[in-house]
Amino acid sequence: MQGCFFMNQFRKERNKFIILMLMPATILLVGLTLFPFIVSLILSFTDYSLLRPGQTKFIFLNNYIELMKTDEFWIALRVTVVFTVLAVFIQVVLGVVFATLLHNENSNVSLLRTLYLLPLAITPIAATFTFRLMFNPSLGVLNYFMKLLGLEPQAWLASPNTAMISLIIVDTWQWTPFILLICLGGLASLPTEPFEAAKVDGASSWQIFTKITVPMLYPFIGLALLFRSIDAFKTFDIIYVLTSGGPGILTRTLNLYAFKHGIEYLSMGYAGSIAIVMLIITIVVAQIFLRKNKLLLPKDTLKR
Amino acid sequence: MKVFFRRVALYLFALWSFFPLYWLLNTSFKTSKDALARPPTFIFKPIMKNYIEVIKNNEVWGYFLDSLIVALGTTCFGLLIGVPAAYVLARFKFKGSADFGFWILSTRMTPPIAMLIPFFIMYLKLGILDTHIGLIIAHVGLNLSIIVWLMRGFYEEIPMEIEEASYVDGSSFFQTFYKIAVPLSMPGISAVGIITFLFSWNEFLFALVLGDSVVRTSPVGLYGFVGYQKIYWGQLSASASLLLIPVLFFVFLFQKPLIKGLTLGSFK
Repeated sequence: MQGCFFMNQFRKERNKFIILMLMPATILLVGLTLFPFIVSLILSFTDYSLLRPGQTKFIFLNNYIELMKTDEFWIALRVTVVFTVLAVFIQVVLGVVFATLLHNENSNVSLLRTLYLLPLAITPIAATFTFRLMFNPSLGVLNYFMKLLGLEPQAWLASPNTAMISLIIVDTWQWTPFILLICLGGLASLPTEPFEAAKVDGASSWQIFTKITVPMLYPFIGLALLFRSIDAFKTFDIIYVLTSGGPGILTRTLNLYAFKHGIEYLSMGYAGSIAIVMLIITIVVAQIFLRKNKLLLPKDTLKR
Repeated sequence: MKVFFRRVALYLFALWSFFPLYWLLNTSFKTSKDALARPPTFIFKPIMKNYIEVIKNNEVWGYFLDSLIVALGTTCFGLLIGVPAAYVLARFKFKGSADFGFWILSTRMTPPIAMLIPFFIMYLKLGILDTHIGLIIAHVGLNLSIIVWLMRGFYEEIPMEIEEASYVDGSSFFQTFYKIAVPLSMPGISAVGIITFLFSWNEFLFALVLGDSVVRTSPVGLYGFVGYQKIYWGQLSASASLLLIPVLFFVFLFQKPLIKGLTLGSFK
């Protein structure tokens, strides 16, 4: 009887703790995101346009049907997927490798870490415009180097062959530090015994990296990859400033496509439907990713 | 030999990270004619004019102050409400905990285009448009998913034995959380704190729409140097370079726990 009473008391205590700890975050997020989401969802079922706000009609799924029928949407989707997959893949590889190298380094670590974080620290507006200057075909420093090395100067942002590559270079420059920082934090919080044991056993650096570092760092890599993908999927600034989706529509992502309809053509309903489609794609991919990698729930919880 | 190759790789990567900033710094010491010279110049007669103009410009100081308030506020407030949520999600399984976690994650997935206008209307109605606190709340909302999920990841890596021992000793959940779990997760808090600070410091779109004329953070302010016809390279590059100093100072302060062996080792 008494044990049961204590159990109940304990359960109450535990539930109270859980609720109190989650409350502030929940209130803030419900307050901030629920309303914008509902507004967007409703707008996406209408032909709401700021050009004729008085005559909005409810058109059910017409925006979505329209979207599926246009090639522009599918091209934008392909551009977005190519950009996201390539950029994030390169960033994760670089981030993990250089975090590990830096973790093992013992001289000038602080200086190197600061240098690596610079791309994340500088105001993106300034960095992006600097890249635009560097990419400039006639007066940019990139083609200057190309000529010095005896290579063919490129049109970079203006050429169909190199526009996407240029964007991926800029995105990689800016966002590799994000992955690197998370991995550094991860490496610092991992126990050191497995590494020491492997060294004693005479494992090579490469073996330690593939057999111990990467598997142990795996949850951090997974999370960094997930967040980077979510953000890369809706990249806007750098593409808008550097190519505006050009040449033609070769680098126009879904987000730029939505911006074009929402802000330039002022048809908020149509833009809303693009946003909802983007949201659905992200949710589905993220769910599959988290379930496959068993990251949806913590692997172990308190036994009490 | 191994050390040599590692250092070559590390410094090459440092060069890659630094070069665009070198170019920006370079530009900040150039006259407007030199900035757009053809071919680009590496050696030139440096001028301080751009920096003097920027330092004398009270508006740039204003951007700095607004950015600092918003980014610090976002980091503190974000960690304060994000870390407890992360801890609970890492340590307790309860009904719907997976869905709750995913819902938090999904708040980052909505494209900004869909959020901006409703946000603007909401802020207008609440009367927190053009206020620091308004922008801080928005930035916390935008980054909370990252704080919660990354911190949850960090808590999962911390062995639970120490916390369990603390319960056996009769500590309450709250005591165990702030006396044991928080100090143990300092590398995580530090990494996530830096990320949150930088995200808030550099956020452009919401700062533009929600803070515009009164609370003008540096990305929005610096955008003013980009005209339709002409980019004011001197002032843009000089103020961007100057604004890097406080950020580096903050990163430097916060990165201490990232140094290896400082945390778990001390408990063994």
